[in-house]
Amino acid sequence: MTSAPFAVLGLYSKAEKIIDAATKIRQRKLGHLEAYTPYPVHGLDHAIGLGPSKLGKLVMVMGLLGTGLALLFEGWTSAVDYPVITGGKPLFSWQAFVPVMFEVTVLFATFTAGLAMLFLFNKLPFFGHPVLHSKAIKDITRDKLALSIEQSGAALDIEAARNALLENGAETVEVVELPAWPRLTLVSLLRSMAAIVAACVVAGVGIYSIQKLLPVVLPMVHMHDQPKLNAFRSSTFFADGRGMQPAVAGTVARGHLPPAFSKPEEAGQILANPVALTKQVADRGHKVFNDHCAVCHGTVGDGVALLSRAYGAKPGNFMTAEMQKQPDGYIYGVLMLGKNAMPSYAADLDESDRWAVVHYIRILQRSQNAKDEDLK
Amino acid sequence: MKPATAPVPDVATSMPEGLKPFVLLEGAVTPASLDDQVLKFPAQRPPRAWYVAIAFTLSLLAIGLVSIGYTLYYGIGMWGNNRPVAWGFGIINFVFWVGIGHAGTLISAILFLFRARWRNAIARFSEAMTIFAVMCAAIFPVLHTGRPWFGYWLFPYPNERALWVNFRSPLVWDVFAVSTYFSVSLMFWYLGLVPDFASLRDRTEEGWRKRIYTVLSLGWRGATSHWLHYDKAYLLLAGLATGLVISVHSVVSFDFAVSLVPGWHMTIFPPYFVAGAIFAGFAMVVMALVVVRKTMNLSNLITDDHLDVMNRLILAMSCIMGYAYFMEGGTAWYSANPYIQHTFKNYVTGFYGWAGITTITCNIIIPQLFWFRRVRRSIPAMIFIAVAVTLGMWMERFVIIIISLHQDYLPSSWHNYIPTKIDFGVLVGSFGLFFTLVLLFARVMPVIATSEMKASLPGAQAHHGGTTL
Repeated sequence: MTSAPFAVLGLYSKAEKIIDAATKIRQRKLGHLEAYTPYPVHGLDHAIGLGPSKLGKLVMVMGLLGTGLALLFEGWTSAVDYPVITGGKPLFSWQAFVPVMFEVTVLFATFTAGLAMLFLFNKLPFFGHPVLHSKAIKDITRDKLALSIEQSGAALDIEAARNALLENGAETVEVVELPAWPRLTLVSLLRSMAAIVAACVVAGVGIYSIQKLLPVVLPMVHMHDQPKLNAFRSSTFFADGRGMQPAVAGTVARGHLPPAFSKPEEAGQILANPVALTKQVADRGHKVFNDHCAVCHGTVGDGVALLSRAYGAKPGNFMTAEMQKQPDGYIYGVLMLGKNAMPSYAADLDESDRWAVVHYIRILQRSQNAKDEDLK
Repeated sequence: MKPATAPVPDVATSMPEGLKPFVLLEGAVTPASLDDQVLKFPAQRPPRAWYVAIAFTLSLLAIGLVSIGYTLYYGIGMWGNNRPVAWGFGIINFVFWVGIGHAGTLISAILFLFRARWRNAIARFSEAMTIFAVMCAAIFPVLHTGRPWFGYWLFPYPNERALWVNFRSPLVWDVFAVSTYFSVSLMFWYLGLVPDFASLRDRTEEGWRKRIYTVLSLGWRGATSHWLHYDKAYLLLAGLATGLVISVHSVVSFDFAVSLVPGWHMTIFPPYFVAGAIFAGFAMVVMALVVVRKTMNLSNLITDDHLDVMNRLILAMSCIMGYAYFMEGGTAWYSANPYIQHTFKNYVTGFYGWAGITTITCNIIIPQLFWFRRVRRSIPAMIFIAVAVTLGMWMERFVIIIISLHQDYLPSSWHNYIPTKIDFGVLVGSFGLFFTLVLLFARVMPVIATSEMKASLPGAQAHHGGTTL
């Protein structure tokens, strides 16, 4: 690979001289004119023919975009997506949104100013620029001012450029070559793709092994680890490991009097419903029935429900003539003792709930076999 | 400074001492000598004193880390916070450190807009202090949340709980203000460093140091077409940061002023907080610069006149603080509100009266010594006053937070606040972190913005020149 001349650099020490030289050389149109200085030299940008920077306009646009986005976002979260009244203020309380709007404006504007300046306008980072590989760069970032005549389109006339710089007071002159660029080949492409794949694999395996192998120290777990009852876990509160303790021998909890019968039929003979039917009792019965009974007996009590079909079992159908004839006490007795596959509900329902369910079953029976006078 | 050929008017020599132009450079300083003086430190072995200093600050940091470890493991109950003083050391230290940062932005942004050339020599160092101070500040509210590992809940992001932050709360404004402040300060600082990293890159021998500086300099080559946009960006950043720095401590003060606690609910809080922040920050900068110019032999670049100007600013801020304290008393008296009057009386007479008296002594009375030129130029005197101001400003936040909270409306809920060992440990740790970072910064980065200094050296520019105030 052969290298080609990129530019001719002339070094100066005084700001007046380089500005003067730049003004004169610019008229001779020997190539693209650029200067490299350790600090901004006022007037040099004008002398090499640069106009004012357009950065300000971009920053203005992005800053206003930040203001608008912040207002929209605050308004949308506070008034639309998560409307919660705080402090009696309206949902879209724009006055309270101003501080965040201001901060977001500044954030957008400053990051535009900084990043657009570096990356968009100045096209940095760029480590391969020929001037960075010149001998003069050590002086340029230290104390020398360099005027550079650079190739643009046509090949650079090195001799003319060198003479122009020397005539205009350059202390030393250096020809800067284009560095040998690395070429894009299939091998280099495959190599970089392999590097990306390798990086992904290393990152993935690394994260996996960190999570798996390193012990995780849980901070502040005292609230989590306190003695307490957990569902389906044994508890340390009592010696038998149970959370709920059985009743003390010889005591009876309210609403849980043991039955005075051993068969539902017996209950049907000795018990009558002691609870008067009111709207409240009917509603309670409705709820308890739907919570506990409907899953097998069906919401209308006809014995057809999702679960019964899935199991292939035959739960009682309350609509048969036989069931309609059974006394209240019989249904109460089945609730207490269970029947066939049905377990006892003595522990789940207290006495008033059981009688409420009995009332509700009667209501269902009447509603499913309604007579004309029921409609009046 | 005029070119040597210009005749010097006689009136200049016969001027009274105080009216003479400031001497911002001593001896001959050229761009090359500036580089050799400022950029040599990274390549040198630091002196023994540096190791002693960093060993000390690292031990302070270790105390802080142990205290933070206790806080994380056993929970926020390790702190002295109670009801009604739910904001204890955590918020005092947060406000204190954020305030320290403000001097850096004032110097780098506001004084840049005012074209105060004396800022050039001290801008870089105080910007670095800004960043380190905001880092220290951020520790406290995050720990104070109780479960810092959920700190990201402070930001609005789409989450499975379908919740958003409450944008009507000053605490959310604070999150935005402080995080914007940190990122903008970092950006500002880094932009200023890019040309200096390029200088460091080109004077460093081949090796890993040169590689790091190469990457950090982004391949900066000082092209005039780059400086054009760079200058514009710097000017824009200065303008934006000016508004930002005023907004940040105003928003911090809203945390207090927007509430109904007696002693907090006052309209003077935002300007009062901003002035206090700059006051405390300048004291910290003076303290650090006195040490830096001595140990790094930079007295010819950071002259007695630099310190003199800074001390004048401290004096001015002290007077503003005095006015603010007086105003608070006036508000309490004129409001005819017994709760506010009780709180104000508590500032100097109650269980914590000593804190209020320390605040007034350190912030209002002691800095008045700076009216005397000899005091402004005496190193021991300014260190004494700077330490007093730092202590006083920390005490002021103690007064505002603890005294206002510990006795508010309902006497039945009054309760005194006693900080714990862990509280002090975290505070000491934050000082350790701050000075460790300052020492590391002085070791590996240019402590003076050389490209900015070069641009204002005598003879650097064609049409105007010279260093004047």
